[in-house]
Amino acid sequence: MMITGVKITLLLFVVTTITSLFLGTIIAIMRISRIKILRISGTLYVEIFRNIPGLFWLLFFFFVFPELLPFGLGEKLNEYIYYPVVAGIMGLTVDNASYVSDILRSGRLTIPHGQRDAAISTGLSRVQQYLYVLLPQMYRATLPPLGTRMVHNFKNTSLCMAITAPELTWATQQIESLTFRGVEATAIATIFYVFLALLMFLMVIMLEKRLKIDISSITRSRA
Amino acid sequence: MKGLLEQFSNWDFYLYGSFTGGEPGGLLLNIILAVLSLSISFVFGVLLGYSRLSSRRYVRYPCIAYIEFVRSTPLIMIIFWSYFFLPYVVGKDIPIFWSAVISLCIYAAAYQAEIVRAGILAVPGGQLEAALATGMSRYQSMKHVVLPQAFKMMLPSFVSFFVSLFKDTSTTYIIGLIELTQTGVIISQREPDKMYAAYLSMAIGYFVICFSLSHLARRLEKRIGVFDLESYRPEATRDEFMLLPKRKRDGQVSLAPDSASK
Repeated sequence: MMITGVKITLLLFVVTTITSLFLGTIIAIMRISRIKILRISGTLYVEIFRNIPGLFWLLFFFFVFPELLPFGLGEKLNEYIYYPVVAGIMGLTVDNASYVSDILRSGRLTIPHGQRDAAISTGLSRVQQYLYVLLPQMYRATLPPLGTRMVHNFKNTSLCMAITAPELTWATQQIESLTFRGVEATAIATIFYVFLALLMFLMVIMLEKRLKIDISSITRSRA
Repeated sequence: MKGLLEQFSNWDFYLYGSFTGGEPGGLLLNIILAVLSLSISFVFGVLLGYSRLSSRRYVRYPCIAYIEFVRSTPLIMIIFWSYFFLPYVVGKDIPIFWSAVISLCIYAAAYQAEIVRAGILAVPGGQLEAALATGMSRYQSMKHVVLPQAFKMMLPSFVSFFVSLFKDTSTTYIIGLIELTQTGVIISQREPDKMYAAYLSMAIGYFVICFSLSHLARRLEKRIGVFDLESYRPEATRDEFMLLPKRKRDGQVSLAPDSASK
């Protein structure tokens, strides 16, 4: 049961990391675009999802979302045995994406204007500008906060127990109620979380050291 | 739409639960939890954050261990520990409310320690040196010179931490505290056909408070200056700003005239 829990936790974490990075990037681009509607809707998204707890979104996607779907799709979803996991992924993604987009947007502000001008003058299209010039720099500039955010996201997967997704925290409670060995199970789970989160912190620090650009050297060479 | 309007007739449940007749609940309970645990853990946060900067290893390392441990544990785990196992340790039952407050305090103290630490580091080192040079003791110079400036810089991050703590109080839903999320879930289960309305009222409750507070934080940030906890890096500044005598190595004057001022 613990092993399944660990697997589901890791699955939730990996999938939500990828999806929330993707969604967050799109929203960050929306928020810095020149088109007003995109900008406003991006800002609206961030404000709404940042100011309401993640647990709410998990419950929302688990309980309410199937009801809102048309054509009896909701009942099918409710019968789907892995729906708690799917709802967990959706809830965590939308919650985390708002933070990611905020971080990325602040990263965009650190990139000098010249980068974009240079990208335009080499004849890159708008999509290419983002893909090859701006986005890599945005990720690199915001690596530490992004890493912290992802650790948060990893910890938030434990909230999925509220919607009965069979992940690690849920497994410990299940063990508690079946065998009254809750202390051991919770201790193991805590150690697992702490170990993995610290590992991630370390990885972020190492990655950051590796990817660091020495900005002062660039400006110095220009001067 | 009609369902939504009917939901608003339950507004007293969402706002303060059965406060007038007994225990507080709903949004009021969230606020109480957040304010109480923030203010209790503030003391510990300052202590931890300051002693993390100590030059004495036996002070620094336990603090680092505590902070990093709590920062990498999910809040739910802390809540479970204090809910299920603290009563064993203490030997008597602890009300749900207090176990929630205790776990939130444990959680918040670590994060506040990080804020305090970063705030102290953000005060230029010359301030402390100047204070010490005027003959203040270490305690006096912290109290009258460094900490006031540090707190001013910390204020925006305290407000935004309060927002996140406020959102985290919703986690106590899991141990059955009747706060806003629990209220919404109970009401939505009582009337399953108007589920979305209950959830919408819940969302509005959280949104109004968090939105206004996070805007306050942003405005404070603009006035006081940017100060970003999220971009904090553990070792970037440790050596440069270590508060206690580090410079002896260069043959300069020691920064610890504590004994001299006695």
